Amino acid sequence: MAVRPANPVFATSRGGTDPRSASDWTGRQVFSNNLRSLVGRAYPRVRGMVREPSWLFFEIALPFLTTAAFVLVYRALGAPEAYVGFVVLGGAMAAFWLNVVWMMAGQLYWEKSQGNLELYFAAPMNLMAILLGMAVGGLVMSSVRAAAVLVISTIVFGVTFHVEQWLLLVAVFCLTLSALYGLGMMLASLFLLWGREAFHMTNLVIEPVYFVSGLNFPVGRLGAIGALAIATIPFAVGLDAMRQLVFAGQPYITGTPSPEVEALILVVMTVVFTVLARWMIRRIERMARARGSLSIRWQ
Amino acid sequence: MSTTFDTTRATSFDAERTEGAGLADTIRNLRTALFLGWRVEANWTDPLLFVIYTVVKPIASLLLLVMMIQIIGAGATGASDDTVRTFVVLGSALWAMLVAGIAGPAWSVLEDRERYRMLKYLYVSPATFLVLLVGRGGARLAAGAMGTLVALVFAVIVLGLRIDLTAVHWPLLGISLVLGIVPILAIGVLLAAICLQTRQESWSYPDAFAGALFLVTGVVFPLAVLPDILEVLGLINPVTWWVAGVRLAVTPNGPSSIGGEGSLWTAVTGSAAPDATTIVIALCVTGALATLAATAIFRSSERRARELGLLDRTTGS
Repeated sequence: MAVRPANPVFATSRGGTDPRSASDWTGRQVFSNNLRSLVGRAYPRVRGMVREPSWLFFEIALPFLTTAAFVLVYRALGAPEAYVGFVVLGGAMAAFWLNVVWMMAGQLYWEKSQGNLELYFAAPMNLMAILLGMAVGGLVMSSVRAAAVLVISTIVFGVTFHVEQWLLLVAVFCLTLSALYGLGMMLASLFLLWGREAFHMTNLVIEPVYFVSGLNFPVGRLGAIGALAIATIPFAVGLDAMRQLVFAGQPYITGTPSPEVEALILVVMTVVFTVLARWMIRRIERMARARGSLSIRWQ
Repeated sequence: MSTTFDTTRATSFDAERTEGAGLADTIRNLRTALFLGWRVEANWTDPLLFVIYTVVKPIASLLLLVMMIQIIGAGATGASDDTVRTFVVLGSALWAMLVAGIAGPAWSVLEDRERYRMLKYLYVSPATFLVLLVGRGGARLAAGAMGTLVALVFAVIVLGLRIDLTAVHWPLLGISLVLGIVPILAIGVLLAAICLQTRQESWSYPDAFAGALFLVTGVVFPLAVLPDILEVLGLINPVTWWVAGVRLAVTPNGPSSIGGEGSLWTAVTGSAAPDATTIVIALCVTGALATLAATAIFRSSERRARELGLLDRTTGS
């Protein structure tokens, strides 16, 4: 009788060639498998940018016009030019918030509606790899939009930036994104539990967060509401820190902690949201296996 | 065992029945689509939560703009803070209705195709596809109108907005609101035509499109601050006239979003601002043109979607 050649995946695993012991993967195997899952989940988002060019118009040209509208409100009111800069930076950063809300928070629910969620739970991978893949793919997409809005608006409206601490600015930007996408990963699990409410929640949280985060004005002007936003919403604290760093010396940004303190807040948020996201996705996975209904469409 | 067929029934097939009952059928389809749309909008939760979800978004948008005025003040405009705030609040509140109305048909396509996978069945049903979409859009528009109303009440009670109900031009208000519904739904149908061709991520397209309209329709600032070419775009847009009509009806002595110093309207016509009759005529003309254009584009998109099999396509990223 011919001996069947060993499966190449099993052959390199720690335990041997029989399925049970072969499932005992080495750390390297686990890592490379999760990395492949991450890349695989990010791929359709990045590739989709090329395959569906309409997003260039709808997600770059039109948001620029929205930003322009707010700039013109300030111009009509005769506001100091610094406020034009605040609007432009807010308009650019809004791309990330929209991406977190539409393509992270609601995503597991969409996946459930499409029938992919069962496959995710059944596949031999860590679900955090899927969430990270979603985040990386979305990050690429929204970075293009944010950069385009920032560059076009800066040229059209003649915004002048005054940066004194480049290193801190880069750190704050990265921390803002990691905290935002950490929040997105956490919300993805929550929204999955909320079922049909997820879509409405997605639609609901955009404008209120814009307002309490001071999308078009320094968040310090909101007093206690602004302080609460800085303590809880990464978009608010990140935007305020970046405004302080990009428009250094502007007298209009007052009443909020220094960028260094806000960077620390972002670090804490990143850790908390990521840990919570990991805990919640594990719980969701257990619930999905135990109940057998969580991953079924339209439940 | 042999099977016999009733050939008399087959031969007595009435071809005219496939034509439907004309207008009566259309009205019945529209009513059903409106009812279905309302159920989809409202039956996912209890009424109180539904109302909260419906009004939070327009109120937050309103507060964002009011805060901008609060910080800067209206000194440079030559008008009082109250006048500017009323101008902005009215425009912003109406915007909730517009965004809901234009998102309705587009989201209906995406929901039925990508989430519920029902679009192909709806398409082959005897109801006209366009009528179904208009009905679904109408239901969302109604929810948006509720948001507009609550935002205005909120502005009066909390923000101290002053509206003199005895001075309101009620006929103009009614006519403008009703006439405005048609072009709003037409823009929604236009976006539905686009969403038929695009992928699942088109959820945010209506919001993005509304954001662009925000710039050229004089919602929160007069058209006079725009370059001439953008002013022209605003003047041929029915939304501009809809907002101007409602604004003139509610605050007859308030500033105009169309005319005024430095505006193209004043430069061309010599009048300070369009009067009520002009606004209604302009709303009718631009609305009719926008509706015809949207219908033609939708028909073309529908044909292409049928040919390429896009009606039952599902995507994801």
